[in-house]
Amino acid sequence: MILILEAAFGFIALVGAISAALIRDSYGKLISLGVLVAGILPFIVDRGYIDVAITVALIAPIATIFVLMVARREEA
Amino acid sequence: MLDEILHIMAAAIISWILFVTVDIFFKLPETGGVSGASAIARDIEAGGGALSGGTMMGNIVCSPDASAGTLLAACGVYVAGITGGLAAAVMVYVGNRICHDPGYAGTTGAVLATFVIYAFTLAGFAATDFIAGMVIAILTIQGLSHVHASRLLARLWRVRQ
Amino acid sequence: MIALYVVAAIAVFAAIRVIVEKNTGRKLPYANVLGFAVSGAVVLLIDHPLALVAAAAYFVGSTLESNAIASTYAGGVKR
Repeated sequence: MILILEAAFGFIALVGAISAALIRDSYGKLISLGVLVAGILPFIVDRGYIDVAITVALIAPIATIFVLMVARREEA
Repeated sequence: MLDEILHIMAAAIISWILFVTVDIFFKLPETGGVSGASAIARDIEAGGGALSGGTMMGNIVCSPDASAGTLLAACGVYVAGITGGLAAAVMVYVGNRICHDPGYAGTTGAVLATFVIYAFTLAGFAATDFIAGMVIAILTIQGLSHVHASRLLARLWRVRQ
Repeated sequence: MIALYVVAAIAVFAAIRVIVEKNTGRKLPYANVLGFAVSGAVVLLIDHPLALVAAAAYFVGSTLESNAIASTYAGGVKR
């Protein structure tokens, strides 16, 4: 990948990771984790690991759903 | 290079018209569907937008609709021509059912977009122009000003009713 | 290929707007734009049929995730 594209997606991943740490609201944190995954996926694809990319793309949302179930149980 | 930029802008306008028309035809701005979409619509209305426009934007977020269908169809045509576009339509259909959405807005949008985009590739466009164009189109609806976009969609919805 | 640069720029713009926006209901449309942009970028990077599957899988996954977050934020599915 050309350097500027790497910088762009790396920036997205970094912004996602830092905001996941700093944002207080739980929904905000989960959405920031989604931004993080969005940032790293192009790197995985660019190297040719398309099957890994498909797996990550399917597992990350399922993980988010599990986290939501835990959060809801604590709220209730 | 300027050629490609003009193609991308034209593709953006074509994709915008395509997906907004299909979505409004399939009554996406109608309230009372998915609970997540209503929550998003409420927040957009609280920020100064229109409720029906916000409902359509909420529905676009919560389930693959014609915009998703158009994007994946463009990706499909880029990778494998008409076959690729129709394969993308099948994937959009499966995605709709996974998201508990019984509608056909996504699949219709994908099939329609496959043929429209393929026709344009015969006329000098590249499928990549439509991929970038569709992302620009969705940016104008969901990514610039929710207030203005929802009001525009609400006005188009009133035309349909 | 200009299309890839356009899509990457939109992805960065959408990511910034997601983080800056405070209200959850208004964050989700920006996150949706990010999902579109990354799906497009995946296909533009590798011209292979499996990349189409990866883009579709990622897009459906991110839509499902946004749907789950929005539903939980709304108070859950009304029984």
